[in-house]
Amino acid sequence: MTTSTAADAAPAVSARPSLLWRDVRFTVLCALGIALFPFVLHPLGGYSTLATQIAIVSIASIGFNLLLGYAGTLSYGHAMFYGGGAYIAAILMLRAMPQHPNLWLAVGGATLGTLVMAVLVGAVTVRLYGIYFALLTLAFAQMVYFIVEQAKDWTNGDDGLQALPNALLPIGPWNLDLTTHLPAFPLGPFGDLSDLRMWYVFAGICLLLVLLLFRMLTRSQFGEVLGAIRENEQRSSLIGFNAPGYRLAAFAISGALTGFSGALRGLFDGTVPVDSLSIDRSGSFVIYTIVGGVQTLFGPVAGTAVIMWLENVLSAKTPAWRLIEGLIFVGVIVFLPRGLATVLRQQRDKNPRALFVRSLRPSTEEPDPLLKAAGEGHRGGVMSIIETFKLGKLFGHFAAVRDVDFRVDPGELRAVIGPNGAGKTTFFNLLSGTIAPSDGTINYKGRDVSRLTGTARVHQGIAKAFQTASIYPDQTVRQNCRLAALAKVQGAFALQVFRRSSRLQDVDALAERAMARLELTGVADVRAGDLSHGDKKRLDIAIALATQPQILLLDEPVAGMSKDEARKTEGLIRRLATEMTVLVIEHDMEMVMGISDSITVLHQGTVLATGTPEQIRNNPRVQEAYLGGHSQAELAG
Amino acid sequence: MEAFFEALLGGLVLGLIYVAIAVGLTIIFGTLRLVNFAHGAFYAIGAYVGLVIAQRIGVGWAFIAAPIAVALFAVLLDRLVLRQFYDKEPTAQLLVTFGIALVVEETLRLIFGATTQQYQMPDALQGSVSLGFFTYPAYRLLFAGGVILMLALVWLFIERTNYGLIVRAGIRDRVMVQLLGGNIRQASTIVFALGAAIAGLVGAAATPIYSIDPATGFAFLVPSFVVVVVGGLGSFWGAVLGGLLIGELQSLTNLAYAPASNVVIYLCMALVLLLRPQGLLGESEVIRQ
Repeated sequence: MTTSTAADAAPAVSARPSLLWRDVRFTVLCALGIALFPFVLHPLGGYSTLATQIAIVSIASIGFNLLLGYAGTLSYGHAMFYGGGAYIAAILMLRAMPQHPNLWLAVGGATLGTLVMAVLVGAVTVRLYGIYFALLTLAFAQMVYFIVEQAKDWTNGDDGLQALPNALLPIGPWNLDLTTHLPAFPLGPFGDLSDLRMWYVFAGICLLLVLLLFRMLTRSQFGEVLGAIRENEQRSSLIGFNAPGYRLAAFAISGALTGFSGALRGLFDGTVPVDSLSIDRSGSFVIYTIVGGVQTLFGPVAGTAVIMWLENVLSAKTPAWRLIEGLIFVGVIVFLPRGLATVLRQQRDKNPRALFVRSLRPSTEEPDPLLKAAGEGHRGGVMSIIETFKLGKLFGHFAAVRDVDFRVDPGELRAVIGPNGAGKTTFFNLLSGTIAPSDGTINYKGRDVSRLTGTARVHQGIAKAFQTASIYPDQTVRQNCRLAALAKVQGAFALQVFRRSSRLQDVDALAERAMARLELTGVADVRAGDLSHGDKKRLDIAIALATQPQILLLDEPVAGMSKDEARKTEGLIRRLATEMTVLVIEHDMEMVMGISDSITVLHQGTVLATGTPEQIRNNPRVQEAYLGGHSQAELAG
Repeated sequence: MEAFFEALLGGLVLGLIYVAIAVGLTIIFGTLRLVNFAHGAFYAIGAYVGLVIAQRIGVGWAFIAAPIAVALFAVLLDRLVLRQFYDKEPTAQLLVTFGIALVVEETLRLIFGATTQQYQMPDALQGSVSLGFFTYPAYRLLFAGGVILMLALVWLFIERTNYGLIVRAGIRDRVMVQLLGGNIRQASTIVFALGAAIAGLVGAAATPIYSIDPATGFAFLVPSFVVVVVGGLGSFWGAVLGGLLIGELQSLTNLAYAPASNVVIYLCMALVLLLRPQGLLGESEVIRQ
């Protein structure tokens, strides 16, 4: 262990300066780009305030992209944060500090206010998906619109708030006036850039900081987990990540960024129209982000710039400008699903999470202290490790599982068999917590866990591999296992937006170990989606194993495998069973009879018999009920 | 009292429009698993086609031309764009159909201008009918009856034909239906065209009551989605119940406190989503889509 750690540390040290260099280069290039932008925009016909407005609105688009691109959910109500931020800032200006308008306080208050709003709205929306999520966010936005429109004393109703005082920006001893003109820059044939104010400098700095923050966030541990949840939520929940928690955090950050942007825009324009809360406003963030490139850092900025420029330049020339905008939008979705950014090649990392993949650590067969811990209490405990009492599950009026009393001793390898439709998978789903029981209880190590979510049960030590392998197809095999290990090491939720997960030593060790156990080390850097069927099934087990379970639930681990693969996997499972309790559903009778310590037979949702392979083989009721039309030789296997 | 009954009938007429659009959304979702944000555009196209035909040729022809034109447009759209989005995630479907809605709306604006338009019914249908202690425009009653008749035919289609069987089966288990073989492709096209034609016909028929402008499609679409969610995605009777409920709610709120009439439906939807996420008559399995 010591040698491998040292060997590992060496490249990390040498990589550090280059990483810092990349950060510096990124910052400098962004700053340059923002500084030069008005000089590009002016000859293209953008009016004097457009550059500042684009810089400000870009921030909202970046926030929106966190939700659409990185959390994978479409909000159709982001105007509530954009307009909300603008109204809060304006009202603070007019009511709280009419004499000494302070921009920090107004914008800070607006950001905080929209953050609170986003947490409240998010708390009720993040459990919904797709159209439901989009419609419920739209519904909240419409309610906010209504409230603002009705609260005429504060908001001036339909007319919006106008003639906001000019906010000053106190920095140290200075009181900066952002409306101060910058010196005019002559641009040769294009006249000169005369009406650029301090506002652009301020908005540009804000945009730069948001870009840096966002870049860090998407590459952090938080961003990594958020991406995993987007790619496979079922798997992410069952390796122990609190998916709704992550989505809520993303929603809150997204809302606050949008509110921040709205506040800046209101103060810059000096007016807050009620339109800033409208459906069209919400839709505009969708358009900006999609056109520019969802899931990319610069996409939303590029999209905002292109579309806002089009609106301002084209609208003067042709009434068809919105049609052109719509055609661009549809064209991008159909032909460039990742937006203009893919054309401009601004996205440097094709697969951002590949960054987290570290070099292959040589796999060793020495006993692993990390996995040893999981085997504690192995064989010889008097208490059962998992036990169910009168467990039942109704789907409508159909009892998929009923009255199941079931008990497994620590260290046992128990097979659960039964004809199709016997309720085996439902029973496993009840044990793993993917579905809640209608009746009865589940005791795990003497404690009732039947009300715990699947995510909580993973952290208690119950892990599951699925009947149809549930993996992250776009990630490498190693990254698949690292995610599971990360959930174990960091817990269900960690708002770790600064640090990368590669800093966590245990994560790599656990992941390597899990891969070695399932003999996947050789394909560690292969994209999981490209694996063979058998390797995918083994990867699914490796993912479950990387959470350091005490009970491993395997739902048909060798289904669909060739004879050789099945025997190989059988051997791997047999080895795992020496370290932990294993429950396995399987139709392969040869395997079931060969590896099980004991067998439970389910039939029509109830337990028909439990016993050693010998007892089950000779049980006449099992032969009759289970075999049906099958030959006895099949069971004898 | 008179105002109350008028609002009640107004709610019925409005609700029936929602029902018609929502039924189309629901059968399309059931068969194609497509969340169609462009469905409001079908309503708008139907309305404008109806407007042109009614003014140039005759009202009767408008009711024939509008659904046919919209069905043709829908099939074309399906073949050219939507087909490749069937198997994509709902968010991608939302985005592309939202984009199509945008394009249609702007195209209509370019052709017909942004102003609100309407066509007049023939004199025979202009009058009012006495309903005991108050009178009500005859055409509105006729419209309500016509929509109910059309919905009954759609119900028969779903319950009594082989295509309807595919719709019902598709709502329950899409994968299973796909395994059954080739005729689902044809059924998809027919159902998509039918759903669109319903919206187009209602658009043409409703224009004398609710005038039309390019944004009307979207204005009707959003409440119709609310209806689908409230009633339960994939449920015919859910769409009927939801549509009437939302229509009446909006109409009666308008009478009691007009400014709240646009927000009350969202409040209703939020409550339903929080208390019974699968919708009033929805089946719980569908919600995960």
